[in-house]
Amino acid sequence: MLDELYSVAGSAFAIGNLAWILFGVTLGYLVGALPGLGKGTATAVAIPLTFYLEPLSAIAFLVGISKGSTAGSAVSAILLNTPGEPSSTPTAMAGYPLARAGKAQKALKMGLFASVLGDLFSTVVLILVAQELAEYALGIGPVELTAILAFSMVFIAGLSGRSMIKGLIAGLFGILISCMGLEIETGSPRLTFGLLELYDGLPLIPVAIGMLALSEMMIQIGQRQRLSDEADLLKGSTNREDQIVTLADWKNCIRPIVRGSLIGTVVGILPGLGASVGSFLSYGAERRASGRGADFEESGAIEGVAAAESADNAVVPASLVPLFAIGIPGSVIAAILIGAFTIQGITPGPLLFLENKDLILGVYVSMLAASVMLLFIGYFGQNMFARIVRISPALIMPIVVFLCCIGAYLQGGGTFGIGVMIAFGIIGFFSKKYDFSFVTFLIGFVIGPSFELSLRQSLGLVTDLPELLDHPVAIVFAVLAVVGVWRLSVLQRKQMAEMAKAETN
Amino acid sequence: MPKSDLYAGIGLMMFGLITLFVLIPTQTSDGGDASISPALLPQICAICITGLAVLLTMQAAGKLKRGKVAGQAVPKTEWISSAAVIAAVGVAVLLFKYVNPAVAAGLLVLGLMLYMGERRIYFLIGIPAFLLIGAWLLFYQVLGTAIG
Repeated sequence: MLDELYSVAGSAFAIGNLAWILFGVTLGYLVGALPGLGKGTATAVAIPLTFYLEPLSAIAFLVGISKGSTAGSAVSAILLNTPGEPSSTPTAMAGYPLARAGKAQKALKMGLFASVLGDLFSTVVLILVAQELAEYALGIGPVELTAILAFSMVFIAGLSGRSMIKGLIAGLFGILISCMGLEIETGSPRLTFGLLELYDGLPLIPVAIGMLALSEMMIQIGQRQRLSDEADLLKGSTNREDQIVTLADWKNCIRPIVRGSLIGTVVGILPGLGASVGSFLSYGAERRASGRGADFEESGAIEGVAAAESADNAVVPASLVPLFAIGIPGSVIAAILIGAFTIQGITPGPLLFLENKDLILGVYVSMLAASVMLLFIGYFGQNMFARIVRISPALIMPIVVFLCCIGAYLQGGGTFGIGVMIAFGIIGFFSKKYDFSFVTFLIGFVIGPSFELSLRQSLGLVTDLPELLDHPVAIVFAVLAVVGVWRLSVLQRKQMAEMAKAETN
Repeated sequence: MPKSDLYAGIGLMMFGLITLFVLIPTQTSDGGDASISPALLPQICAICITGLAVLLTMQAAGKLKRGKVAGQAVPKTEWISSAAVIAAVGVAVLLFKYVNPAVAAGLLVLGLMLYMGERRIYFLIGIPAFLLIGAWLLFYQVLGTAIG
């Protein structure tokens, strides 16, 4: 593997490619540091730019943005107690008290080191695992693929929200929407309402921008007063003491970083769990291990920051394992990356390692380079990013809405794309407010065409039920899907009961 | 939450039924010689959505009956801001089509800044100008494409 990576190092380390990675990481870090903006928004809005780039630079740029914004969200979490996204909430819980105690610089630095280490570990796992898994995936037929996709949808629906029913509705709605356009076998228009623009189906990028970015802006603009208040609080909350990470800090943090990296990587590989699950699990494990109880949040804990950040950042590269190996997007970032691959005329999945191996190897090298750049940009730009979080949301949000419109216009065939973006912005707003997982919707929308294709092929191959016995892998996944619906529903009901009990107490 | 779940369930049930009995029959061909009907997957989705919506409605109705009405309503400010963002983008699209792309983009940013409470004149002029010049440089000069 090392030889293979070395062989593509020339193209990955080309000045142009490195410049795009650097731009991506910086932009991502900047957006992540701004309160209320997360990696989904940053990546979705940036996709249209990649249309004009070489495939390697395009993917590397987007991966750079997602890595940068994941790490950057720790800045607003620690300094403002406002996580850029939900997965940074544990960082805010452990880091904000440290900032109030004058240890903001220490917490930010440890958060950065933990982010880079978690990210690097997970990238190495991606490099080692994805190709091996893809070789197995190449032997998968349409019947097995249908069962695997159905299982993945159930798994994602059950884990990405609080209600299995709502998750399944969101996923099915995504698949239904993906049916719009010319039907794959006959080429006849389906659910197009006579609109020529819909013959190619709904464009992914305006849908993603609407669901992720525009809907988020609609919510954030409604909360502008809260964001402004937090920015004002910052002025009195910084202290220049305790600015470095000492050897004692490293001794305390190395174990949570290793544990967090492992948890984040495993969580990332499993489709649908997401960065929030990873960072909360890692944070919870460290909190229990410390034996400090409520003091962990009251006084703050640098180990908590390290645990949460290492897991949060380990999720992103690991979530690309199912995408590269099987073609199943396990996270929002992976779903958006499918859009970027499609723009470049590349289909993610096991064939990627046969047909575009140099590209994938180049992406791996670029991801490693992005990890190193993340360290430098985060370290040397720390003071600048700490100042940037003070910028008023009234200046940031309109710019993001403007960029949303540009992106939807370029990738959605003109003003039609903006219309699609508005429609899905409204749907995204309701789905976020009423807990219908937009992640499951987007993944359903993305895998819909391959699900339909494999379902059609399966129905052609399996005409009688006993013929299914020739496909034991499919039977296993079908059974797992049914068991998954049952077990995850029971689990969610228990969690809801516990939450209700806690609220009553 | 149960109340909103109840409304969502009823709404989705209606959506599923309309899709199943109106949209799919009128918007999908019978497939002719196709081995499998083009309507198959949309029908599966619509049937499942309707069934799950019935479950959601029953679940929410049961909770309401037991007196569980807890849950956060969407704040009024978020409804208003959502309508404002949609209206601003909608107006910008109209201006884009019938007036000029630069005017549309400039007024979109300016309008949202004013709505969010920004009153400093140098920002109100500077940011839209910076964005327009930046977009022009990026798309027309660097990337060699055109908008509008």
